[in-house]
Amino acid sequence: MNKRHGLAFKLAALILSCTFVIVAAIVGYNYYYSRDIILRQAEESSRNLAQDTAGRIDSVLITVQKVADNIAFSLENATLTKDEILELNKRVLANNPEIYGMAIAFEPYFLEADKLFFAPYYYKSGGRIAFSMLGNPAYRYFYMDWYQIPKELERPVWTEPYHDDGGGGVLMATYSVPFFRTIGGERVFAGVVTADISLDWLEEMLERIRVYNTGFAFLLSRQGTFIAHPDPTLVINQTVFTLAEELDSPRLRSIGQKMLAGENSFVPMDGIFNDAEQYLFYTGLKHGGWSLGILFPKNEMMADVQRLSNIMTLIGIAGFIILALLIIYIARKITNPLGKLSDSALEIASGNLDIMLPEITSSDEVGDLTNSFRVMKTSLKEYIENLTTTTAAKERIESELRIAHDIQMSILPKLFPAFPERPEFDVFASIEPAKEVGGDLYDFFFVDDTHFCFLLGDVSGKGVPAAFFMAVTKTLLKVVCEKGLDPGQVLTKVNSDLAAENDSCMFVTLFLAIMDIETGETQYANAGHNPPIYLPCGGKPEWIPPLGEPVAGVMEDMEYSTKTMTLNCGDIIFIYTDGVTEAMNPEKELYSDQRLMDLLIDTDKPFAPELVKTIDDSIKVFTRGAEQSDDITMLAMQFCGKCDK
Amino acid sequence: MEFTNTKNGNALVVKVTGRMDAITAPEFDGQCKNWIETGDTKVVVDLSELEYISSAGLRSILAAAKKLKGAKGEMLFAGLSGMVEEVFNVSGFAAMFSIYKTIDEALAG
Repeated sequence: MNKRHGLAFKLAALILSCTFVIVAAIVGYNYYYSRDIILRQAEESSRNLAQDTAGRIDSVLITVQKVADNIAFSLENATLTKDEILELNKRVLANNPEIYGMAIAFEPYFLEADKLFFAPYYYKSGGRIAFSMLGNPAYRYFYMDWYQIPKELERPVWTEPYHDDGGGGVLMATYSVPFFRTIGGERVFAGVVTADISLDWLEEMLERIRVYNTGFAFLLSRQGTFIAHPDPTLVINQTVFTLAEELDSPRLRSIGQKMLAGENSFVPMDGIFNDAEQYLFYTGLKHGGWSLGILFPKNEMMADVQRLSNIMTLIGIAGFIILALLIIYIARKITNPLGKLSDSALEIASGNLDIMLPEITSSDEVGDLTNSFRVMKTSLKEYIENLTTTTAAKERIESELRIAHDIQMSILPKLFPAFPERPEFDVFASIEPAKEVGGDLYDFFFVDDTHFCFLLGDVSGKGVPAAFFMAVTKTLLKVVCEKGLDPGQVLTKVNSDLAAENDSCMFVTLFLAIMDIETGETQYANAGHNPPIYLPCGGKPEWIPPLGEPVAGVMEDMEYSTKTMTLNCGDIIFIYTDGVTEAMNPEKELYSDQRLMDLLIDTDKPFAPELVKTIDDSIKVFTRGAEQSDDITMLAMQFCGKCDK
Repeated sequence: MEFTNTKNGNALVVKVTGRMDAITAPEFDGQCKNWIETGDTKVVVDLSELEYISSAGLRSILAAAKKLKGAKGEMLFAGLSGMVEEVFNVSGFAAMFSIYKTIDEALAG
């Protein structure tokens, strides 16, 4: 089923869907583009932050290294006494705040031949410098890593971070530098200078690095041990690899390997430490083989982008709603008058032309439409009024025409048998008027006791003029006949009277005969009428030859001649108008003279009324209901004399 | 009903084709008006192609002839045959007008 949607709905749907797509595209593009910018900035700033931090750590380490290196160098001078060594150690510690503690450990029996241990150790404790002499049977320092490794490698090393129980009792890392003396031209390992740094300050330094809310920095040793991490349980106890094992993360392991190789990179760390997405920046330090990592929580990084997108989405939605309301308002403003107009149109269609059209003052297309509508309504009203008037007038004319037709028909004798008391003759006539008023006429009457006049005519044309002309002709004929003239004289007189004032060129064809009803002698005259048929009783019917005299009513000075024929008992004169022979069937074929004559030949022993009826039926069969264009008028006059009918 | 007009010397030959009845007869009146306006007052009407003529047609011919006469012209007929010729004879038109067998004769006459 097709649901019907109004213009407002369609307009709103179309515009709003376009707008939605545009807004969504803008917000989406903006989100992804700003995210890229933020990511690039984050990488940049993390790189800066890491390098800055690494630099600061490096600067501390390098200071410590240099101090230790210098002392080691000076210890290669064998002239230093025991006290001088102690003094040097103490002074160096006092002058270098970065150094937590410093030891100068000699090989057994090296400085003093009777002493197994010689390892003075100065360290900071409670803001003051404390002293302890390392080495006793329980703590044989020359077996410790910080001593052994540089001794074996013959180069300085940073130890892995460790918890020093022997010295300061803090978490520390130690830089150990071996020093040598030349004895007997031979370079001999003499001992180790160590500089400890407390990892607490490292911890503090890294803690100061605040990355968003939950981001943090951490430091790995050469072996991957956590030197600094916000989670204190990891420090010393775990390496990045044990953590990777624990978290079952091959990715963390691979990142750890890259960190230990001293690389630097900015990588996503999704879901390794927790469910939150994170980025990691790592970089190797210059000294100690350490490497620094900084973790960025992605959602915090993206918070600004998210907020911007949210605001843009909100603005978009608000704009969308405002736009929707505006469109609906505008569309309603357009469609409301249209709806009213449509209602008015229906009302007008149902015939109420007096309806007031809705008052629409807008100067747009809707206003134009309303105006056109108003004009249409007015025109329609005028047209219908005109039509009503015209129709009324036409109906009046038609009704008058009908009356005229009735009157015209009523002046023709219609009562048959017309003269039942006269057995000498029988006369029968019929007229089948066409739809339109025509001008056929016939008449019969006694001129005197023994002379009977019968006539038939056809006025040219149709309509009221023909009807008038016919009435005038019929009246004239009767008046003139009663003067006792012969048919030719009657027609001459009637013709000159009709032609006298006939500007309209109307004319009438006439056949007029006067019969002596005792003898059957018949005088006749013909003014341009088609020849009647003479049907001798028992003989072959034939046309009464035309006289070639013109129609009546055209030329004033015409003389019509009179012919005479004698009828025998039962003979018939059949007069008709061309409505008979020119009656048409639907194929536009004429009834024709020939068909009429054939019919009459086939009719034996006819009587006047039956003859007319037979012909009438034949015509009806022929025309098959086709519209009749002309009056069909027939008159049959049968002479009976004194014989039986 | 159709009209074909041909100018021949000072005469206008009008060939009438089709049926001339109450419906088409007014066309003949209209044509006649044109002839008088263009000054063609000698008109030869060729009726050889006319199939049928009714009393209304005869009346149109009468009216046209009368108008032409008023304009000091004349109307001649040629090529009558069959039904049309019979109607002309019966109605006495043959006696009222100049009728010729062919157009050439009409033009010569």
